[in-house]
Amino acid sequence: MTADLFAAEQMPPAAVPAPAATPAPQTARHARSKQLWYAVVFPEMAHQEQSTVLLRGLCMHAQQFTSFVSIEPPNALLLEIKGSLKLLGPLERLHADLDARWQRLGLPAHSAAAPSTLAALWLARGGVGPGGEPGGTAPRAGQSLQLEDLGTLPGRLAGLPIACTAWDISRLQTLRAMGVTRMGELLRLPRAGLARRLGAAAVQDLDIALARQFAPRRAFVPRERFYARCDFETEIENVAYLEKALEPLIARCAQFLRERQAGVQALRLKLRHRAGPATRVHLGLASITSERRRLMDVLSQKLGRLGLEAPVRGMELVSGSLQPLIAASLDVFAGMTGAGAGRDSAPQLVERLRARLGENAVYGVASIAEHRPEAAWRRVQELRLASALRVDKKTAHQMMNDPRMPRPVWLLAAPLPLDSGLILEQGPERIESGWWDGKGVARDYYVARQSPDAPQSHGAKLWVFQERRSKRWYLHGKFA
Amino acid sequence: MCFVAVKTWMPREVSSLADILADARVWKLKDASAAPARPVWSTGKSSLDARLPGGGWPTASLIEVLLDDTGLGEVQLFLPALVESQRRTDSSGAQDAPWIVWIAPPHEPYAPALAQQGIELGRLLVVRPASAMEALWAAEQALASGVCAAVLLWLKGTDDRWLRRLKLAAESGGALGVLFRPERHRFESSPASLRLLMTQGEHEARLDLLKVQGGRPGPVDLGSIPMDGTSFGSP
Repeated sequence: MTADLFAAEQMPPAAVPAPAATPAPQTARHARSKQLWYAVVFPEMAHQEQSTVLLRGLCMHAQQFTSFVSIEPPNALLLEIKGSLKLLGPLERLHADLDARWQRLGLPAHSAAAPSTLAALWLARGGVGPGGEPGGTAPRAGQSLQLEDLGTLPGRLAGLPIACTAWDISRLQTLRAMGVTRMGELLRLPRAGLARRLGAAAVQDLDIALARQFAPRRAFVPRERFYARCDFETEIENVAYLEKALEPLIARCAQFLRERQAGVQALRLKLRHRAGPATRVHLGLASITSERRRLMDVLSQKLGRLGLEAPVRGMELVSGSLQPLIAASLDVFAGMTGAGAGRDSAPQLVERLRARLGENAVYGVASIAEHRPEAAWRRVQELRLASALRVDKKTAHQMMNDPRMPRPVWLLAAPLPLDSGLILEQGPERIESGWWDGKGVARDYYVARQSPDAPQSHGAKLWVFQERRSKRWYLHGKFA
Repeated sequence: MCFVAVKTWMPREVSSLADILADARVWKLKDASAAPARPVWSTGKSSLDARLPGGGWPTASLIEVLLDDTGLGEVQLFLPALVESQRRTDSSGAQDAPWIVWIAPPHEPYAPALAQQGIELGRLLVVRPASAMEALWAAEQALASGVCAAVLLWLKGTDDRWLRRLKLAAESGGALGVLFRPERHRFESSPASLRLLMTQGEHEARLDLLKVQGGRPGPVDLGSIPMDGTSFGSP
């Protein structure tokens, strides 16, 4: 049965290049595999939105059995269990323990073990039944497919429907059109022809399933977070006391981050009350940090603005995801000399301002190469806080510096219609642009002063323009 | 050698005013003001520089500008200093370019105009606080942080206590604090080391020094405040 697998049938016209006609990697047929994979498929999860999140949660369970767990979207997990057999084995027992875990979680699951990743997956999917037959909530003891011997692998796969490969529909339809419905029939087909009809990837999948080719999987690494909880003996009503109570938590958090050479950019604080929903404080930092002082600084700013509606019974501090800390060179003597002590860095200042005034209240401005004055600038929320930035003299001097085109320091949010008398001092500067996006302007700009007989004459130097079509005058800026 | 030693014992003969002034024991007001401990930034106007102790805006101090309307060239007075503050630290090479913070400006600061004047926009921060209290707090934070070269603050009004706090913050952070307030605060006491009054004259803005620490108050003849180094004729 295994003899004719992928038998090297030469295509008669030798001119046809066989795509990806790599020679089948030779492995000892009857050797015992070095790996043993356990696959579990959760049929109900296939159409759920949050399946990846759920699978991540299940990975935590799976990691009690093995150190190597891989997520197979959309609804399966792969576990390498060869290394766990000695401790948790034999295989039957480990398999049963794993299945019992899914059953305890109330998740319908189909599982199988096989010496290769794809074989285990396909076998597990095959347990679902051809038409998605509503299987039991847990695999019955006899249904658990187990095998460890490479030699029996093709035989066990042969009975599976081709649908368990989870290949795309067009490929499966091609196979059905060829009259292939079971894996056994597929494996009997010539390798080169298969590669031509289905693509090299299909052949490679078969190689992986038969453990002829190694397929590395990405191991699931749990996302670490800092979590600390603190319950108070008495209820706290004062924010100042709350800050004091928070200090050890922040210190622990900073320690936690330091040990991992990581930093956070967000922290969440949950204040629990006796009744009612918990107060949640979310704080973002301008840059990744693990400094206790900075974290405390921002948190106390936030707390200072927080109106406590009810006494607090306890709190929880959860960090955002950990990010690697990129070390910046620090001034060795910064903390020692009197002048440098207590000084902030620019990110610290920005995030302290943002923590109290709001994210959008602190921004930068950037100039855009654009003729229309109102489109020639924009707000910048992401500030370049990197300390490496120096003033670049060259670019600063290359800036447009034409005395005939003065620009005012203040630009009004919208042009203001003018009717009082003006004394024009300089101009015109014709700006005609933007016809392509429907916001076209055709204006003549002047530097002007309000004439002394104007109602509220303060004689300010103004930037005015005359709309060329309507001949009306507008105020657009002030030279402050 | 011998001759010199003898001469110092002789009673000094007072011959002229120049001799008196050359005597190191005579304390001169002008000299005292000409050697401030802190560096100064030029205002870009020689007539104003000449009136300020040290020949420019004092750093690490609070400057108060009283004016009722915007558009009198009040920001223009400080732009050369802002540019210089960013340049100077750069040439020393050791430090990062310092930040410039504008708090509660009356309108949007127009980026092309500032770039035209040579301001490094990547180091300009605009802060829009919701209240005067928050504006003062933000100004104090920025002044004391030590990362800002200058903090410009626009306010309708504030009290003496807060001004004192701002002054202390400016001194500790080594930053130049500029506070723009309406003219009605003219007769209130202020701890600012420099107080200016800007009013509209016949043709151009008029600048009065109300208070100058280490200098003489009085009106300053600015000529016209150029916007970019040129004077404009009527079209």
